[in-house]
Amino acid sequence: MSVVLSSIRWYLDVIREAQLADYGPVRGTMVIRPYGYALWERLQSWLDAALKEHGVQNAYFPQLIPMSFFEREAEHVEGFAPELAIVTRGGGKELEEPLALRPTSETIINSMFAKWVQSHRDLPMRLNQWANVHRWEMRTRPFVRTLEFMWQEGHTAHATPEEARAEAMAMLEVYREFAVTQAAMPVIAGRKSRIEQFAGANATFTIEAMMRDGRALQAGTTHDLGDNFSRAFGTQFSDAGGRLRHAHQASFGMSTRMVGGVVMSHGDDTGLRLPPRMAPLQADVGTEKSPGWKFSHWEMKGVPLRIEIGPRDVASGTCAIARRDRPGKEGKEFGVPLAPELLVQEVLKRLDEVQAELLERATRFRDEHILDVSSHSQFLEVIEQGKWARGWWAGSDEQEVALKEESGATLRCFPLEQPGGGGTCFLTGKPADQVALFAKAY
Amino acid sequence: PVHRLDGPTGGLVLVAKTRAALRLASAAFAAREVRKRYRAVVWGRLAAGGVVDIPLDGKPASTGYSPLRWHPMEPSGGRDAGVGTGERGAGSLEGNRWTGTRGAAPGSALAVTVLDLAPVTGRTHQLRRHLALMGHPIVGDPKYTSGYAAQRALALGDPAAEEGWRAGGGQTVAPGAIAGATPHLPTGLHLWSVGLGLRHPITSEPLTLQLDEPPEADAAPAPKGKAKPAGKKQKETKLGMRATKDGDFSEWYSQVVIESEMISHYDVSGCYILRPWAYAIWDEIKNWFDAEIKKLGVQNAYFPLFITEEALTTEKDHVEGFAAEVAWVTKSGSSDLDRPLAIRPTSETVMYPFYRDWIRSHRDLPLRLNQWTNVVRWEFKHPTPFIRSREFLWQEGHTAFATRGEADAEVHTILDLYAAIYQDLLAVPVVRGVKSSKEKFAGALYTTTVEAFIPHTGRGIQGGTSHCLGQNFSKMFNIEFETEDGTRAHAWQNSWGFTTRSIGVMIMTHGDDRGVVIPPRVCAVQVVLIPIPSTKLGEEARAAMAARAAEIEAALKTAGLRVRVDDRDNYTPGWKYNYWELRGVPLRLELGPKDMEAGVAMLARRDTGAKESVAWADVAARVPQLLDTIQSDMLAKAKATLDTCIEQVTTWEGFMAALERKHAVLAPWCDEESVEEDVKRRSAGKDGENKDAREATMGAKTLCIPLEQPELPEGTMCFASGKPAKNWALWGRSY
Repeated sequence: MSVVLSSIRWYLDVIREAQLADYGPVRGTMVIRPYGYALWERLQSWLDAALKEHGVQNAYFPQLIPMSFFEREAEHVEGFAPELAIVTRGGGKELEEPLALRPTSETIINSMFAKWVQSHRDLPMRLNQWANVHRWEMRTRPFVRTLEFMWQEGHTAHATPEEARAEAMAMLEVYREFAVTQAAMPVIAGRKSRIEQFAGANATFTIEAMMRDGRALQAGTTHDLGDNFSRAFGTQFSDAGGRLRHAHQASFGMSTRMVGGVVMSHGDDTGLRLPPRMAPLQADVGTEKSPGWKFSHWEMKGVPLRIEIGPRDVASGTCAIARRDRPGKEGKEFGVPLAPELLVQEVLKRLDEVQAELLERATRFRDEHILDVSSHSQFLEVIEQGKWARGWWAGSDEQEVALKEESGATLRCFPLEQPGGGGTCFLTGKPADQVALFAKAY
Repeated sequence: PVHRLDGPTGGLVLVAKTRAALRLASAAFAAREVRKRYRAVVWGRLAAGGVVDIPLDGKPASTGYSPLRWHPMEPSGGRDAGVGTGERGAGSLEGNRWTGTRGAAPGSALAVTVLDLAPVTGRTHQLRRHLALMGHPIVGDPKYTSGYAAQRALALGDPAAEEGWRAGGGQTVAPGAIAGATPHLPTGLHLWSVGLGLRHPITSEPLTLQLDEPPEADAAPAPKGKAKPAGKKQKETKLGMRATKDGDFSEWYSQVVIESEMISHYDVSGCYILRPWAYAIWDEIKNWFDAEIKKLGVQNAYFPLFITEEALTTEKDHVEGFAAEVAWVTKSGSSDLDRPLAIRPTSETVMYPFYRDWIRSHRDLPLRLNQWTNVVRWEFKHPTPFIRSREFLWQEGHTAFATRGEADAEVHTILDLYAAIYQDLLAVPVVRGVKSSKEKFAGALYTTTVEAFIPHTGRGIQGGTSHCLGQNFSKMFNIEFETEDGTRAHAWQNSWGFTTRSIGVMIMTHGDDRGVVIPPRVCAVQVVLIPIPSTKLGEEARAAMAARAAEIEAALKTAGLRVRVDDRDNYTPGWKYNYWELRGVPLRLELGPKDMEAGVAMLARRDTGAKESVAWADVAARVPQLLDTIQSDMLAKAKATLDTCIEQVTTWEGFMAALERKHAVLAPWCDEESVEEDVKRRSAGKDGENKDAREATMGAKTLCIPLEQPELPEGTMCFASGKPAKNWALWGRSY
């Protein structure tokens, strides 16, 4: 791994040079430029179709939420209150009640579920919105953590706790599939610890991605909210027997953070390397007359293929195809026929190859950087190396927090794929029934 | 009557017509096999639902309750009835309905909560007593209303009562305060029986009897469900719509957006929820327009919501246009911001500083960006769903060119796309034109517009605007570039925006007394398929019908249509017809026992009600044709109406007479701003008593100067000033 690559400088250079984003005029905000926004649109169209396929309908809920809404769910308000951006003035007058810019929409959507959900026949209710949200973050980084970001947030209501849990799991699988098949990111799906879970949830599930500097990026989360919000907001339905019951709920979100994830998963010293299925431009055509800066411009922008046509090529009716993911001659194929049909075939084949190889390479990288630990000292060593530590875990919440303070690493998740059986907690020596993944994270 | 309601309780009563039915139904009540739902308005604020099971008269008693919404109230000496800007969160009565913000002002001295109640037992005065014991007596219930009742409940140490008490802010409702506040409320007990669920005593068929929400309680969505003439107070299968479009247009509109489940009201006045049925239309508009502008070479981007105060004040004209409507973020968490941040009312001032940085040379031009966002304009004018709201969704395109010619061309290309959204997608006819200098966008060189017209109110409505900004903004923001010959020049800019208002215009144009009517191209469901299995039908015949429905559904989906099969077994076919008519689905396909025998299906059009029978084999071919016909018929009908609503006149008398007839007026004009102001003043009636009257007599202004101009003979005089006319302008009262 290159030194340059591991630095924040590299990331910010790529974001600027590839024209993905600019800093906004207000600290912590950003302008998403067309090239960056096109990546987001790729994600949007794939995910929107997948959600609709699952029976989720799009809607739009107001951005401004009365402060009193947050106070209804105790954990939720505690989690979000410090990050709220609050409107107190409008149209030249002080507002009677301050309004917060949504940091997430559980509260407002639940105030509506309480009206819309009346009978068991109204369930399941599955809504989604594509919206901007605001969280007053102190340390920000384009795409990865910003005051304002774009996301989709899905919110569902179900008759039973089992269905709500199943929904959270199903959506996690949708996110995992997107990351792996489209973004070529071999994410690890798992459950968050109590410390790390969403404020107001019974359980939070996550896909965790490994960046090229070894840090973890939480790339999408789904939550089993149980009946916490439905109790707070009085969302009740009459079941088939006429009894009033509280709905059980799930919510799930994926954001523009994923764009940062793609950059940091695949980029190299030359710049971006985009998986063909995410790339706004999949191939660029260059001639011998093209100046060198043009080649490096498109390389830096991560366009997966370059088709080069020289005068001799024209004479022989051929061209050369160069792959962005493999530098130099190694990734170049000469003598590709220019005849449109054959060329298209060849290009499509190459794009598939690039897509598959980026995933392979990222998977290899991931597996090389996850190490099993069985003792506290081993744990510290692995984290110190900038890698992920995997070990049996039976520590308490306090011990988890202490470990974070000591090492800078957080418990990323309990992977859904467990080795089975049991083991000994690497920290406490107590018997443990699951392994956890720890890493430093964005 | 089979069951008894307390004298003052309103709503649904079950009446048996025969002795046998009486006996069986009474037994069902006694055995608690009947589900009962009540609606009540109670004193105090209840935030969460629960169950009260305080025994009454020594017997177990249980009442489930769940709050629907609450309204702050002011004690006597407070506001008069009819307030409703919502700013102070006051609730009051206007006519027969609540107005005012909900959820504002926690801890306000008095509040009422609308509750849904589900009693399990049926003790004497159970609901009234349970609520009183919780400290939330029912409004208009002198018998059980006193601070004492609430305190007694606390003394009992009942956790549910205590929870309710705390949720309500812990106040004791003093009888004096109530007496003072009561003038705001209609008299009588605020308790209604709204739902009964039971099995038919003879046939055992499950029955769900529901009342529309009592008009006294709120204007919120009426409970859904089937109502049969078991209770005498409700007509059969009356879903939603009560007002008529011709009778009370504004009431009709308020009802139709709610009942069709396009909009939900929200605690913040002027902000609405776009429910899936409405959002799907926006999705269609968005997909179509987004693809069209991408073909032109426009790219999407996203600029921050926050605008700094300095940036906002860069453009003076511009700021004056928007400053009064800006919402300000002044805090993060619990700390005050050093400098407040504005929420974008539009994005010129946040985007153009970047344009200055990005545009250096003629090679960087044209720069054509668009964004799909929300914007906030904190207005105090009367809000109307879709038409005027404090937050709305839109696209805003902002482009920069090297030459005026390119900018001019784009302005009109975009205007044509806007006209196409209205005419081709929403089936709404529009007039394309240029705004007068008085009506153009602040800071623009000129503004083009598509104007629609609402015949029922006689008002024009601006449907979308495409502006040529000239070099006004590029000079303000220093957007300069190096030309091909090395000199420096300011860029020519355009901006153009289209909003969710268009959905409201569509609803107003096509809706009727049965609900909304949505054109096929934008409706989330183009065909609804309703199988009609009669109870006489055997198992096998039912299965055959279901299979046939599935086959037709598959064939229509293959034809690329959006289809829904409504096979819910708890609703009658008639109820389903109403349900989908209310939502405006363009085409209904019925499949009944006779159709099964004949191998046909019945198609019913939502727009005209026309029906035709089609052989199964032809359905997949006929339906798309019919949808195309509906789409073009809807436009043609609206166009014919519009044509009768635009009168061409040349004199002031003719102008006033046309306005009187609630029409728009095409009249020769001298194109002078002072004359337009004068016309507005002279055409305004006296200030009306109420809102409707004020709107009916507001002054007329120019809607636009239509691109398509009638011939203007030499020597034609302005209808208002008598000076030589320069053009034909379209005038009207407007939204």
